[in-house]
Amino acid sequence: MSPSSELTLVKLPLHVALHARPAGAFVRAAASFAATIEVQANGRRANAKSILEILGLGADGGTELAISASGDDAAEAVAELANLVIGFS
Amino acid sequence: MDSPNGNGYVGLVIVSHSAAIAGGLAELVAQVAGPDVSIVTAGGGADGTLGTDGGLVLEALQAVQGPGAVVLVDLGSSVLSVRAALAELTPGEAERIVLADAPLVEGAIAAGVTASTGASLAEVAAAAEEARDVPKL
Repeated sequence: MSPSSELTLVKLPLHVALHARPAGAFVRAAASFAATIEVQANGRRANAKSILEILGLGADGGTELAISASGDDAAEAVAELANLVIGFS
Repeated sequence: MDSPNGNGYVGLVIVSHSAAIAGGLAELVAQVAGPDVSIVTAGGGADGTLGTDGGLVLEALQAVQGPGAVVLVDLGSSVLSVRAALAELTPGEAERIVLADAPLVEGAIAAGVTASTGASLAEVAAAAEEARDVPKL
């Protein structure tokens, strides 16, 4: 597969902040991909593989996340991370 | 929380002058990092006072198994206690332990989540030390 750049927008469920347990799950999932992955929210930008940067987004429930990735598995990465976010409960 | 890390994941050892700080941080890290990462604490003096207890620290380090553990410390004499305990270990025990030069809370969170991805001892230690460069504001 050729390297690609992918971007997807996804909203956190209303009652789930990207904090504590969900943030850990998100970073663990991101770390399983080779692609460089970024998340933008609230005008901030975070490396998806850095728990401290993800926590620093301060993304509350209902916040829109822009997940972008570049690299060989970028498409799979954004798809899986978006699914994970939608499925948070 | 005190189970030795015989499950293949790098573990954490948290050393603080306060048992409450060490225990509370272990709880927080466990919530973010999940159940796979073993976290051992050595907090407070032997009689429940504030301080560090060399025997408690040595016990915590000797409980480390498998791929090893990263040690996070709070202040001053915690570092001395860990260094003294490391000197008591066999070379085989000591090579599985890395003392991280990192902020305690951020370092433990970063190390815990990195360990939960199955990362190596060196990668987990690096994640802890990189925590100092992540702006809080």
